[in-house]
Amino acid sequence: MKAKSEVSGLLRIAGEKKALLITASVFSVISSLLQIAPFVAIYKIIEELLLHARDPMNVDKDLILFWGMTTFVALLASLITLYIGGMCSHIAAFNILYQLRVRLADHVAKVSMGYHTRTATGELKKIIEVSVEKMEQFIAHQLPDIVSAVVVPLLMIGYLFWLDWRLALVLLLPIAFGIWLQSRMFGSENGQKAYREFQYAVEEMNATGVEYVRGMPAVKVFGITADSFLTFKQAVDKYRDISLRITNLCKTSYSLFFVIISSLFVFIVPVGILIFNGDSANQAFAITFILFLIVAPSLSAPLLKLLYLGGGLREIVEGNRRIEAIFAEPMTEEPAVPRIPTSYDVVFNQVSFAYESRESKDYKPVLNGISFIARAGEMTALVGPSGGGKSTIANLLLRFWDVQEGEITIGGVPIRDMGTEKLMDVVSFVFQDVHLFYDTIEENIRMGNTTATREEVVQAAKTACCHDFIVQLEEGYNTRIGEGGTYLSGGEAQRIAIARALLKNAPILVLDEATAYADAENEHKIQQGLVELVKGKTVLIIAHRLSTICGAEQILVVNRGEIVERGKHEELREKRGLYEQLWRAHMSAATWKLGEVDRTVSGMKEGMENA
Amino acid sequence: MLKYFHNISGGNIRSLGPATFAALLDGMAKIVPAALLVDIFNTIYRFFSQTGATELNVGRLWTVSLILLAWLAVQYAAYSSLYDKTYKVAYSVAATGRLSLAEHIRHLSLGFFGKRDPGDITNLLLGDYGQVEQTISHNVPQLISAIMLPVIALAGMVFLDWRMALAMFVAIPFGVLLLWLTDSMQARLSENHVKAKNEAASRLQEYLAGIREIKAHNIGGKRFERLRQSFDQLKRASISLEGIMGPMIMGAMLLTRSGMTLMIFAGSYLLVGGELALSSFLLFLLVGTKVFEPLTTVLMNYGEMRYSAYSAQRIMDVQQESPLQGPASIQPHTPIEFDRVTFGYDDSKPVLRDLSFRMEPNTITALVGPSGSGKSTVTRLLARFWDIQAGEIRIGGTDIRTMDPSSLLRDISMVFQDVYLFQDTIGNNIRIGKMDATQAEIEEAAKRACCHDFISRLPQGYDTPVGEGGSTLSGGEKQRISIARALLKNASIVLLDEATASLDPENESAVQQAINELVANKTVILIAHRLKTIQNANQIVVLEQGSKIEEGTHAELLAQQGLYASLWNLQQNTDGWRVK
Repeated sequence: MKAKSEVSGLLRIAGEKKALLITASVFSVISSLLQIAPFVAIYKIIEELLLHARDPMNVDKDLILFWGMTTFVALLASLITLYIGGMCSHIAAFNILYQLRVRLADHVAKVSMGYHTRTATGELKKIIEVSVEKMEQFIAHQLPDIVSAVVVPLLMIGYLFWLDWRLALVLLLPIAFGIWLQSRMFGSENGQKAYREFQYAVEEMNATGVEYVRGMPAVKVFGITADSFLTFKQAVDKYRDISLRITNLCKTSYSLFFVIISSLFVFIVPVGILIFNGDSANQAFAITFILFLIVAPSLSAPLLKLLYLGGGLREIVEGNRRIEAIFAEPMTEEPAVPRIPTSYDVVFNQVSFAYESRESKDYKPVLNGISFIARAGEMTALVGPSGGGKSTIANLLLRFWDVQEGEITIGGVPIRDMGTEKLMDVVSFVFQDVHLFYDTIEENIRMGNTTATREEVVQAAKTACCHDFIVQLEEGYNTRIGEGGTYLSGGEAQRIAIARALLKNAPILVLDEATAYADAENEHKIQQGLVELVKGKTVLIIAHRLSTICGAEQILVVNRGEIVERGKHEELREKRGLYEQLWRAHMSAATWKLGEVDRTVSGMKEGMENA
Repeated sequence: MLKYFHNISGGNIRSLGPATFAALLDGMAKIVPAALLVDIFNTIYRFFSQTGATELNVGRLWTVSLILLAWLAVQYAAYSSLYDKTYKVAYSVAATGRLSLAEHIRHLSLGFFGKRDPGDITNLLLGDYGQVEQTISHNVPQLISAIMLPVIALAGMVFLDWRMALAMFVAIPFGVLLLWLTDSMQARLSENHVKAKNEAASRLQEYLAGIREIKAHNIGGKRFERLRQSFDQLKRASISLEGIMGPMIMGAMLLTRSGMTLMIFAGSYLLVGGELALSSFLLFLLVGTKVFEPLTTVLMNYGEMRYSAYSAQRIMDVQQESPLQGPASIQPHTPIEFDRVTFGYDDSKPVLRDLSFRMEPNTITALVGPSGSGKSTVTRLLARFWDIQAGEIRIGGTDIRTMDPSSLLRDISMVFQDVYLFQDTIGNNIRIGKMDATQAEIEEAAKRACCHDFISRLPQGYDTPVGEGGSTLSGGEKQRISIARALLKNASIVLLDEATASLDPENESAVQQAINELVANKTVILIAHRLKTIQNANQIVVLEQGSKIEEGTHAELLAQQGLYASLWNLQQNTDGWRVK
């Protein structure tokens, strides 16, 4: 039942190009029928020879030549119809593939960021590339092949019954036996069990293979030779052994099936002789008998084809399941009428959040009752130990996830009511890891404001201190980034991101560790860029170097999902709480020198963890 | 063709021998029933022509019919032997091949792993060998039958009637010729197709990796359009590959199979002229339907076979990568020298130029310089990820190119920014540093690396499994585990590349302390962008564009007023920097 609904999922996808696929199937059937023509021609020639057995000189040579020509014409026609059918099914298939990919890409951009955090990019990429590509096999090949492999034998057997039901019945018996053999094999307890084991072995081999290769640099560096190789070897050996066992298990029934189906005519011979012997003057029967003997082998090809067709189906169904799972992922809800804020105070009101749903057994709240106001024109800094929830707060403001409790508002308007597009218009973001697109540097900066002129782009680059290194590149602003173009260092990429944000000039700015990857020279320049960027904005900043943010109007100390302290730098230091500990750890880290063991640090760390 | 078989069998062409022989036997077993069928027709024909006998020779018919039925057993034996040979060979060749490739890549330089996408290498081991399995079990027997059956039939039929045999096979060479001629066209079209496919993959990668940026900048439309265009291009390339190659293969099929028509033409002339016995004509007709069958199957699967040849080629390419070798082993605690080293990842663009410096045993050498100046390359060359193009790197006076890479690595600990953890328990991940370490030793190392506390707070402690790639731990935690590993390994050379970058304060000071434990009494190369941390180094080497421009202690370099001094001053300013 389950398998049936899965195949119907495939058919639904294929149904998008129904007309083309029906045409493809019709041509596929015609082509298969035309492939019987040589057999018919041989029969006709033998019939002619037999009718003139007594006077061989009167054989109609033109008739034989006609049938000879017919084999050629039929072959040609069968190839042409095969080609037309194949093109129809391939055009249908590649169009469906294309549409599936476009829809998938469109959909993944509309689901919440939470989905992308949970799901590895590689996995998504594999589904859109490989799983979708596998559909081609089903739509372009299997579908028309199955149709012709079923329709053609049915037509032929019908015709043969009409000619002589006794001989046709004899033909049906071995076919039925063969099909029974196969279904017994696949339906049996043993067969099912072996197949399950085979699946496990494949999965295990894949998993250990991935681990073996991915861990190889570490394996080499630590000189551990035996272990991971042995694990992989065991998995490969197990896979081979199970494959061989299944091969042995199937051997008898598969070989028997193969031999019987390709020797169908052998079974007609004795019955034919019996009938013919009882009525040997009946030349008409002799001719029918010969027809059966010649045409029967042409039944084997489509029947054997059916056997191979089931092969890749399981993989295709599995791929389809993954595609459907992506489509099932809910999209971020958009308001019907987006509301636009007129002022830019950011307010978090009793916000609680977990990545899992409340019902999930892994439910682990990341934020708990977070409330604060980040006023326009002021800087609000988020500090605290890693994993405390700082980045989550920043991500929630961008509505990468929706909060489970409480509300986030900008200028009094809940961000849910603003719509993603309007929200993004008022918020700029500089992330820790910057992603640059394969495009020119100019276009990468212009992403911030697609209507900006060249002059505006250059001005933003100058303010972000990246103009100098850009003009040093051979093609300046037209230099392409990545993929055979120029690769930029982390610090350079971050400055481009700042230029982007400058160009966007949104009233709210979120900075998440914007100077993390910079080296000495770069860091200084990034900092200059940032000073320009923050002027007059509502700024939310995350920085682990506390000296960077100690001038902020408001510092929120976030630990284990809650705001544990808040205030200005001096006020917080006086509290002698977590902030003070962080500050002292920061100061000692900043003065750390290689080769000097400083025992005071570990004591401080203990204190911090107890806090 | 021979190369194809060579590649498919993983270089061991002989392993295909039994399968070839079985395919041949099976092919011959299939021809016999056609000949017996001819005899049935002959008997019936003779009865109607009344030349030989007036009675239907029922005895002969029954005999032939019995032989046919008995022959089923022979066919069964031939087929099941073919089945045995092909499937068993397929699975064994693939298993042996997988393991030998796995063993081979283990001896390749670390540079190889840096150069190739790990997914790509994994695909070689798993996917490409899967293709080889499929090829050996299906395509190879088909191909052998397709070649051998016509050859054997031709040899036999020539004796019967050479003119008919000629008519039957004369067109085959033309079909093969057509296929051969289309090869270059196929190559070009495939290239277009592969290009379109790669382009779509790159666009997709960019789109998915940048999805946060795309959302944050409202630029879905434009990026999406480029992705859509690449999908569209891929669609067109796929359709034209099918559309243009189709007629070529059809043409080849038409040519090879037109032999049937030619034979009927020749036969009818010869028959009427009385030059050909009817039984021979019948034999040709019936054998004709059998002989062309495998040839047609092969042509139908031509695309798949080309594809598997490509898989095999990819495997062979990696097999031909030469592993690093060398017999000598390392003398611990001896000086390390870079002597006029020049190196580039590709030969035309050197990353290091004529670089020389010397490290005394148990001293700390810091590498400083702008990004892209070659600092990381220096550490990777010392660990022999790659071999250098000119100059020499010596440890204790011995060129590392003469050293056994694995023994070299036994004496080097590396702590880099990116840490790989195995899908195993935390305890075992630390144990990697020293496989025979006791639990007490592991805990001791963990304590010194400041990770014992957070490990013991986990519900399962040291037995906590880490996820794929160790994703359940934070960057700082992974870093400390990698330091614990290195402490346990206790190698005499330590390489540190930005080991404390992008950590938050409480992690950073813990990691810093752990590193100080690690470097005591070791020869250390260190890269850190915060110059304060390296003030104590015994020597500082300043690199710019792959060349050494300054060298000395912190105090000496400051006095020189060069690049180092200006970087130092710059950082003094940044440290006091505030956003507001």
